[in-house]
Amino acid sequence: MTNAPGVYQGAANAIAAVMLLLEFGMLRQALARDQVRLYAAQSALISVLAVVIAADRGLPDLYVLAATSAALKVLAVPLLLRRLLRAGGAGDEPAGVAGSYTLSVASAVLAAIGLAAFGFFAFGSLHLHGPAAPPLALAIAGAMVFVAFGLMIVRRDVASQAIGFCTLENAISLAALVVAAGLPLILETAFLFDLLVAVVVFGMLIRAHHARTESLSTADLTRLRG
Amino acid sequence: MSAALPVQVIQVLQVLTIAVCAPWVTGVIAKVEARLQGRRGPRIAQPYYDLAKASRKEALAPEGASWFFLAAPVIACAAYLTVPLLIPVLTSYGLPLGYMGDILGGGFLLSLASFAVATAALETGSPYAQLGSSRAKTFSAITEPVVLFVVFTVALLTGTDLPYALAATVRSSAGQVVRPAHLLASAALFMVILHETGRIPVETHAGTNEFGMIEEARAFEHSGPYFALLTWGSELKQFILYTILADVFLAPWGLAASRQLGSVALAIVALLAKAAAVGCVVAVIDNSFAKLRLFKITEFAAAAFLLAVLGVFTLYLGGG
Repeated sequence: MTNAPGVYQGAANAIAAVMLLLEFGMLRQALARDQVRLYAAQSALISVLAVVIAADRGLPDLYVLAATSAALKVLAVPLLLRRLLRAGGAGDEPAGVAGSYTLSVASAVLAAIGLAAFGFFAFGSLHLHGPAAPPLALAIAGAMVFVAFGLMIVRRDVASQAIGFCTLENAISLAALVVAAGLPLILETAFLFDLLVAVVVFGMLIRAHHARTESLSTADLTRLRG
Repeated sequence: MSAALPVQVIQVLQVLTIAVCAPWVTGVIAKVEARLQGRRGPRIAQPYYDLAKASRKEALAPEGASWFFLAAPVIACAAYLTVPLLIPVLTSYGLPLGYMGDILGGGFLLSLASFAVATAALETGSPYAQLGSSRAKTFSAITEPVVLFVVFTVALLTGTDLPYALAATVRSSAGQVVRPAHLLASAALFMVILHETGRIPVETHAGTNEFGMIEEARAFEHSGPYFALLTWGSELKQFILYTILADVFLAPWGLAASRQLGSVALAIVALLAKAAAVGCVVAVIDNSFAKLRLFKITEFAAAAFLLAVLGVFTLYLGGG
């Protein structure tokens, strides 16, 4: 019988595992608005994890980080993304997102399991042991990075790529929380506002793409002419 | 002060509890389902009346079917009734016959039963029965990897593959309950159970549309007492799977730790309450999701596989 890692570590690991599952959920979800909803849930979980670590390690500035991150990533960014995606004006769901898989859903999930395995064991073999770091949560963050890249690759639409990029940031925040929970607050906040910049850039990209092709699908871009 | 029961009696009681109460669990689920749909629903004892009615009817076999057609329901029920000997139904300690087979042994018995029913369906020559058995075999091959990975998780967690050992591990501390490997494996097993009992993916549980049927269609050509045995068998299988989920994975509390009559009786009540709770959750899920198209079943299996694989991954790094 292997020893369980203790309630705090177990809870931290379980939260990280659920974040990875939500990443897979975004991979297989057909509609952009459901993807945004899952992204908000994932961001909420990372705030919860920050609170758990803050309570366990006695790091008061992590509470501030959790609140800022929640305000930004659970409320502001999803709202912004929803508004950008609605920019086309064609109802709630922009054209060209649903069914933009290059693989069937089951194959995409199996391929992503392979990617996750690679990320998992690659980060696991680093043997990083921070003071607040359950090594498993770091490995899960590694897996999330790879699955986020997978999400951007297997979906042929701009919306999924924007969401994949945002969840990439979530994965990196998770890794940062786990490895360096005591990072100065100002740095963490600066990273968070980087995300806003990225969302604005993606917003311009989405609008430009939509204006040219009247769809968010990138399938039209394969016929580039010189 | 109540009397201590001999272990043999408890062993028999385990099988009897499953055998007698399985139709009751089905009745509870049907009742909850009807309530959720705003109907009054059949009484909870209705499955017993159905079994009694079917067993009074005449038994017919299709022309050209061999003896196996009639033997299969008996073999299936015998296999189902052997499984409760191997899993913790009422007690937290192993009974004398409890260690004659591990989780794989239980799995083999369940597949033996399903094999017997599928072969009997082939004997009939009826297209619907054959369609059902061929689908059942194909889809159980798809969910098989999930079950294997759940077993791997159990093996990594406990160092054995005995259901009693896992239940004891889960009981031992809160850390064992919240560890991701345990939660992921339990969730994966729950999805497999939903699939195996015909609840979510494509089958309408009590439907009459032949094209949507998987397991239900296999009993098409049986009649009379043999049909009753097959129906009872699928109720047994459902209750056994719920027992494995509740008593081994999710909530191995409330089992009798001693041989006292009182604690064993309490364990029976606790088991029925747990099975009814699982049944309510299943009924809610069954009612709140649309059925999938037949070819989407791979997506469901892929999701369950993902959970099971992640469970093993997390353990492999030592943190899960």
